[in-house]
Amino acid sequence: MKNNGYHSEHRVKDLLCLLKSHYANPVRLRIGGTILMMLYVGHFGYSQNASSSTSDLKQLTLEELMGIEVMSVSRRLEKLSESPSAIQVISDGEINRFGASNIPEALYLAGNLQVAQKNAHSWGISARGFNTELSNKLLVLMDGRTIYTPLYSGVFWDRQDYLLEDIQQIEVVSGPGGTLWGVNAVNGVINITSKEASQTQGLYLKAAAGNELQTQIAGRYGSSIGPNTHYRVYGQYSKRDAMTYPDSTDAKDGWSMAQGGFRVDSKPTDRSVVTVQGDVYRNEAGLDFGERSDVWGANLLGRWSYTFQDSSSFKIQSYYDRTVLDLPTDAWVVNGTELAPEGTFKDDLTTVDVDIQHQFELGINHIVWGVTYRHTNDRVDNSPALGLVPDDLKQDLYSIFLQDELHLLKKLSLILGTKLEHNPFTGWILEPNGRVKWKLDKDRIAWFAVSRAVRAPSRIDRHISQASPPHFVLLTGNPDFQSETVVSWESGFRSNISDVASTSISLFYNVYDDIRSTVLNPETTFPLTFKNGLEAETYGFEATIRYQPTDWWGLYGSYYLLKEDVRVSPGETDFNNALNENADPGWQVTLRSSIELPYHFSINPAFRWVDDFTINEAGVARNVDGYAEIDGQISWQATEWLQLSVAGRNLLHHHHVEYGVPGPNRVAIQRSVYGKVIVNF
Amino acid sequence: MLDDKLRMSNMKLRFMWFLPLICSLSGFEQAPPSREYQLKAVFLFNFMQFVEWPGTVLEEQNTPITLGVLGEDPFGDILEETVSNELINGHPVVIKRFANVAEIDQCHLLFIAASEKERLPQTLDALKGRNTLTVGDLKDFAQSGGMIAFKMVQNKIKVQINLDMAREADLSISPKLLRLSQIVNTKRS
Repeated sequence: MKNNGYHSEHRVKDLLCLLKSHYANPVRLRIGGTILMMLYVGHFGYSQNASSSTSDLKQLTLEELMGIEVMSVSRRLEKLSESPSAIQVISDGEINRFGASNIPEALYLAGNLQVAQKNAHSWGISARGFNTELSNKLLVLMDGRTIYTPLYSGVFWDRQDYLLEDIQQIEVVSGPGGTLWGVNAVNGVINITSKEASQTQGLYLKAAAGNELQTQIAGRYGSSIGPNTHYRVYGQYSKRDAMTYPDSTDAKDGWSMAQGGFRVDSKPTDRSVVTVQGDVYRNEAGLDFGERSDVWGANLLGRWSYTFQDSSSFKIQSYYDRTVLDLPTDAWVVNGTELAPEGTFKDDLTTVDVDIQHQFELGINHIVWGVTYRHTNDRVDNSPALGLVPDDLKQDLYSIFLQDELHLLKKLSLILGTKLEHNPFTGWILEPNGRVKWKLDKDRIAWFAVSRAVRAPSRIDRHISQASPPHFVLLTGNPDFQSETVVSWESGFRSNISDVASTSISLFYNVYDDIRSTVLNPETTFPLTFKNGLEAETYGFEATIRYQPTDWWGLYGSYYLLKEDVRVSPGETDFNNALNENADPGWQVTLRSSIELPYHFSINPAFRWVDDFTINEAGVARNVDGYAEIDGQISWQATEWLQLSVAGRNLLHHHHVEYGVPGPNRVAIQRSVYGKVIVNF
Repeated sequence: MLDDKLRMSNMKLRFMWFLPLICSLSGFEQAPPSREYQLKAVFLFNFMQFVEWPGTVLEEQNTPITLGVLGEDPFGDILEETVSNELINGHPVVIKRFANVAEIDQCHLLFIAASEKERLPQTLDALKGRNTLTVGDLKDFAQSGGMIAFKMVQNKIKVQINLDMAREADLSISPKLLRLSQIVNTKRS
C-alpha cells in the first residue's frame, strides 16, 4: 500500500511539473486554433439557384433590388427570412462599419459565433460550443475553397487577410451542415464570399494607422475587358503590435501579413459564369519565446457554372492550394532538465480539389447532387519537440451527396439529404439530414431539423508525436482514433414583425459521442495518447432582432445561451477530466447600432458582453472572467471619393482577457484605436 | 495622366492573364434584355408605393394610378404581370402606352423609353405642371430634367433622383427611397 501511495504521489508530482511548464492543453503548439477539413463537398449556399419570378422580386426591399445583378446566372432569391436553418449573414456594409480590420474581427458581428482572441494573431472561433485552442468542429470556406490545415486540424485565422471591402458577405450557419457542406461542419459553417469583380471596379486605396493596428495599406484596381468580363487585382499589407502579459510586459506576439491576389469573372452569356481567382500571402508572427513563425501560401481557383433553359444548373470547380510553414519550437525544459532541444518544425501542404454539382427540378422535387475529390500531400520536417509520423502523407478523399427539397404543399417543404464520404482514416461516413420548412405566412416561417454530422480524425489525432524519440515522448497520436459524431435536433422561427423589425430564434439539442479524450498508458504512464472516450450533450438557443425605426438609425441585438455537459463515457478515463474539449461562455449578448448623421457622418458602436467560463489546466478547471467591450467606428464621407474614419476596438478597457489559463503567460487583448483614409475612384 | 497610366496597366493585365479566357469565350450569344426590364418593372412598382401624389390627383380611393410608357415599350408584357391584381395604397393600377407626348391625358408615372432620346427636352417641357413622375433610363435622364433615372452600376440597377424636379411637380418622395438613391441636380446645357 505504501509503495502504491508513493508511486501515485510521485506520478502526480511529475505530471504536474510537466503540465505547469509546458502542458496546459495536451497539444500546445503555440499557434492558433485549427480544424481539419479534409472532406468537403462543393458548397451550396442558401442563395444559389435559378432565376426568379416577378412575384419573387416584388417581395424584395428596394435595397435588395438594388443588389441584384441584372445578368445574374444562378442566384435564387431565397430570402434570409425563409432559410430553414440557423443562418446569420453579415453583409458587406456591416463588415466595414464596426471597425473590423480583418476577418476574425468581423466574425465578432455574428451573434451565433463564439469568438475568443488568444493573442495578437490567434483566435478561437466556434459555434455551439467546443471552442478551444484546437477547436475543430467548424467548416470554413472562402469562395468555395476550404480554409484548413490538416496539420493542426483547424483554421489559421491570421492567414486570411483579404481586403474587407471586397467581401460580399459572411454567412454563418450554426448547427450541422453535414449533408451539403462536408465533414467538419459539425457545429457550424462559415462561408465567406468575395464580391464579383464587376462590383469592385475602379481604383481603391486604403491607409490606416494606429496603436495596435500599426499600419494597414491596401490597394485594389478593377476594370473590364469587353462588356462581360471584369477583373480586379489587390494587395494589402498589415502590421500589428504585440499584446501584453498580466505584468504589463510585451507578449512578443506582434505580427505582419502581406497578401495579394486577383479575381476575374466572365459572363459570356446570360447562362454561364466563369471565375478564376487566386491569392498569395506571407505571414510572420511573433512567438512567446522570442522566435517568429513564417508562413507563405498561394492558391488558385477556377469555377464554371452554367444554367440551362429549364433553370437547372451545373457547376464545376477546382482549386490548388499550397501553404508552407516554418515554426520554431522552443526547447522543452521540465524542472531545469532539457527533455528536447529547440528546433524548427516545417510543414508543406499541397491540396488539389475538384467539385462538381448539379441541381434540377423534377415535379415537386428540387434536387441537388454533387461529387468531390480531394488530394492532399502533407510533408513535415519534425523538430525535436514536435512531430508528425509519418512525415510524408498523401491522402485521397472523395464524397457524393444528394439532397431533395420536396415542395409538398404550398407552405410546406421537406428537405431530405445525405452525404456519403470516404476518408483514408475511417473509410465510409454517412451524414443524413432531414428538415421541414413551414411557411406560416408571408412573413413567418418555422423549421425543424434532425441531422447527423461527423468530425473525421485529423493528423493530430492520429499522427502527433510530442516530442519524438530519442527524446522523452509526452504524447502520441492514436492510429485507432475514430470520428467524433453528433446527432442534432434543431428548431427555429423567423419572422418579419413589421416593415421595420425582424427576429429569429433557433433552438438546439445536440448529442455527441466519441469525443476526443486523453489517456495515460496503463503500463508506462507515458506517452499519453488520444481516445474517443468522451460524450456530451449540449442545448441552448440563439436569438436575434433587427430594428430599423428610421431611415438613419438601425439596431441589431443578439443573445445566445449554451449549456454543455461533457463527460467521460462509461468505462473510459480522461486525463483532463473531460475539461479539455470545451471552453465556452454560457451566454453572450451583442448589441449594435448604425446611425447616419447629417453631412455624411456615421457612428457605429458595437457592444458585446460575454459570460465567464472555465478552461482546462491539466484536469483542473480554471476560470476566465466574463467581459464587456465596445468596438466601433465614426466615419465621414467627405466627398464621393474620400472617406475618413476613426475606428476603435475593445474601447472599454486598457486590456482584457478573452481566453487562456490564468498565469504569467496569459495574453491580454489591448485597446486598439486607428485612423483610416479611403480613396475610391 | 493618371487615366493613361491606368489604361496602360489595364492593357498589360489583360494580356498577362486573360488572353486564353477571351479566346475561349468569344462567340457566345448576347444576353437578352428581359431580365433587366423585369427588374426595372419591379422598381416602377416600388416607386408607385414610395411616391405621394398631391391629394387632388388621387382623390378617390378607387381612382386608378396610371402607369404610362412613352415610346417603344421595352417591357413587353412584364408590366402587366408586375402590377396585375395589385393595389397601391388602395388604388388599382392601369397601364397605358403612348406614342407621343400629345396623347398623354392623365398619367401618374410615365416611363420614357430610349426611343424618345431626340425629343427628350421637349417631352419633359410638355409634362411640366402635370404632377407626372417621369422615369427613364436614357443617359443623364435625371440631369436633363427627368425625375427618376435608372443607372446601371456594376451590373446592378441604381437609382438617381432629381429632387428639385419632383418637388416642382408637387410629388413627395419617401425618405426610404431617397436614402437609397443618388440625388442629382438639373444640368444647365
